[in-house]
Order: sequence, then C-alpha cells, then structure tokens
Amino acid sequence: MKPYVYAFILVLIIPFQSTLLNPLSIFGIKPDLSLAVLFIIGLLTGPIEAALAGISIGLMQDIGSASLLGFSGLTRGLVGLGAGLLGSRVLDISNPVIVLFLTVFSLVEGILISLFLQATSGEVPFFTMIAGRLVPQAIYTSVLCFILLRFANRRDILHLLKRRDIQKEL
Amino acid sequence: MNGFIVKNKKSITLLLLFTTLFWLVTVQVKKGRFTILERPVLAVSGILERIIIWPFNTVVSIGRGYIFLVNTEQENRKLKEEIGRLRIETGVTSELLLENDRLREMLNFRKLQPLSTIAVQIIGKELSPASSTITINKGSNDQIQKDMAVITADGVVGRVQTVLPGTSKVFLLTDPGSTVAVMVQRNREEGLLEGKLVNCALKYVSYYADIQEGDLVVTSGLDDIYPKGLAVGTVTKVVKQEAVAFQTVLVEPAVRFSRLEEALVLTK
Repeated sequence: MKPYVYAFILVLIIPFQSTLLNPLSIFGIKPDLSLAVLFIIGLLTGPIEAALAGISIGLMQDIGSASLLGFSGLTRGLVGLGAGLLGSRVLDISNPVIVLFLTVFSLVEGILISLFLQATSGEVPFFTMIAGRLVPQAIYTSVLCFILLRFANRRDILHLLKRRDIQKEL
Repeated sequence: MNGFIVKNKKSITLLLLFTTLFWLVTVQVKKGRFTILERPVLAVSGILERIIIWPFNTVVSIGRGYIFLVNTEQENRKLKEEIGRLRIETGVTSELLLENDRLREMLNFRKLQPLSTIAVQIIGKELSPASSTITINKGSNDQIQKDMAVITADGVVGRVQTVLPGTSKVFLLTDPGSTVAVMVQRNREEGLLEGKLVNCALKYVSYYADIQEGDLVVTSGLDDIYPKGLAVGTVTKVVKQEAVAFQTVLVEPAVRFSRLEEALVLTK
C-alpha cells in the first residue's frame, strides 16, 4: 500500500475511533475501527507489511490512550502478522466468511491483554471481561469489517489499494 | 550467515521490533509508564477530534433544538416541579450546612470548602484494548491541571491525566492505571479502588471487614484528588477466601461511561 495511505490512516484512525464511532456504541460496546482496518491491510498486503502497520497503529493507540507504550503495538503487530499470513493464503478476500477470522483475532488479542492485566495488576474479572466485552466487541468489529469490505469492494477501492507481491515476503 | 541475514532481513527486523516492544513493556511494568511523544501526539489528535466532532455535535444540537421541541412543554412542566422540590431541599440543606459549620467551628474542625468546577464536554472516548480514557474539550487555557477530579451528578468519572492547551486526557475509573481512595458509606471501611476495564476492584479490604453486595462506595478524600463523600459505585461481588488476608470486592461504577457527554472538573 502507498505510504500516504498509511500516513492518512495513522493520523486519523485514533480521532475517528474516539469520536465518530461513539454513536454506534451499544451498551457501551463499540466496534474497534483500527482492528478492522488493520485486518483489511493484512488481507491486502502481506505479513511483514501488515505487522509493521499493526505496530505503528498500536503505538499511536498507546500514546493516544495514555497506556503502556508498546503494549498495543505488540498485540496489534501480532494481529497484523496473523492477518497478513491469512491474506497471503486466501484468494477471495471479499468472501464474507473471512471476517470470522477477525472475530478470532480480536478475541485472542483481548484474552492476551486480560491475561497480561491479570498478571500485572491481578483481580481482572476474566469471565465478565470475555462475556461482557470481548465477545460482543469482537462480533461488532467483524460486522464493521464486513461492511467496510463490502463497501470497498463495490467501489473498487480494494483494487486501487494495490496488492504487493506477497510470495516475495514469505 | 550473511546470506541468511540478507535473505531474511525483513523478518529479522520484525523480530527485533517485537523483542524491543516486549522489553519496553516489561520495563514500564517495573518502572512506570513512558510518556515520550505523548504531548505532540495528543495535541494533534485533540485538534483532529475537535474538528471531527464539531459537525456531528452541530447536527445533534440542531436535532435536539428542533426535532425534540415536541416534548418541550411537558418537559418544562416536569422541570418546574423538580425545581420547586429542589428549592425546598436546598433550603433544608443550607440549614444543615450552617449547623454543620457551627458544630465544626465549636470542635475546631477545618471548615468545608465549597466545590469550584469547570463544565466540560466529552469530545472523544478512547477504546484502547488495555485502557479506558476520554478526551475533554478544555485544557491548560481553561485552568485545567493534571490530577484534577472529573465528576458528574451521578458520581466520580476519573482524573485528568494529560493536559494540553485546548484539550485534556482523563483516566476513567475503570482504567487499569486509575486508583481512588474510597470507603464504604455504610460502615466507613476504607480501601483503594483500582480500575479493571469492565469494572473496578476494591483492594486492601481486610478479610474481617463487613462488606455486602449493594453497599455504596464513596471517596474517602485521603488521596487529595477527590473530595470526601463523592459517589463512586456499588459493590457487586464479594469473595472471601480462607488464608487470604484481604477479600476481593468488585465495584460497578456509579457513572455510565458509555452515555457520558458532559462532566465537571473540580478545580478546588
């Protein structure tokens, strides 16, 4: 993907996430736009580029939310890597079934974070967290990603964001 | 060897990046959060948030101003009734405050200071997987300072974490970095409330303390951030384990953060 597209995403993703998605909040749960965008980047590019994009987005998120610097960078980097590996093995990225993988990635990331918080500060209500936040958010994010993919596909945006030679990266 | 490195240059770089990030996180767990780059990034995102939220807020205010005008008369009547009731209550409260002041004076206690507040609007709610923060539309230009308490009529929202000229970042009660000195209103048992993302946990409460589900938790004022007596939340779960000195107490915040639109920053 072109550098200016990444710059655009990096600068706008956090303000967009924290403002425009608030009206979409249902019982305090709102979709994770940055995760959905990262998943699409992974599908379009490849594991290395998507991992780097994940690290960058995660770092911006860490700074923007005043949390441990590098924590989201690490988890988002891993999600990008996973999405990139998935994208390099899937031919039809407009297939709606593919968003189910995002549900899994989102859940795994959430569980990793919960385990980390449990280890560092203790007493994280693990099951409340999974049932009350992680699962609904993962599903909601996947729905958003599905809508974004459908929209991008209809407008031929996916073709515009030129796909790199993934085999080289692998 | 060189050939291997050249061939796998990108993968090795990525591995090094992941290792560095992991090291960075472990260092911060031990020594505290790094705040490098925080101010410039928050300044830019704060400006962008204000720009993005402006047309949205304008549309919403037009909607509220005209579309919901239908129920205004009914609402007006209800509000007038409410004002009447509150006037009576205020009269009684003023009497009690005066009596309290006289008694404090007699006992040589420190006089209670009235709260001074600044009204703020929430322009951003951050959904980082590991934190809960909001952005408010006022900063150092409006005399907002770090560690000032943010409240609503329902109770405590959190405290100001980073202050910029036009905006500020606020740690919500549920953020893992948030701690509040609190006590149980019913029996004055004290503890420290920590954020656990979905709710909060009351720490350092003795095994023998009488805490029950439904108990109201209020600020104790011992942290010098929140004044004493502000509602914080309600106890939802109490777990006592044999051979553990402290009990686990989970607290549901009094404020519904998902519906938060305005708040007050306590300046004194």
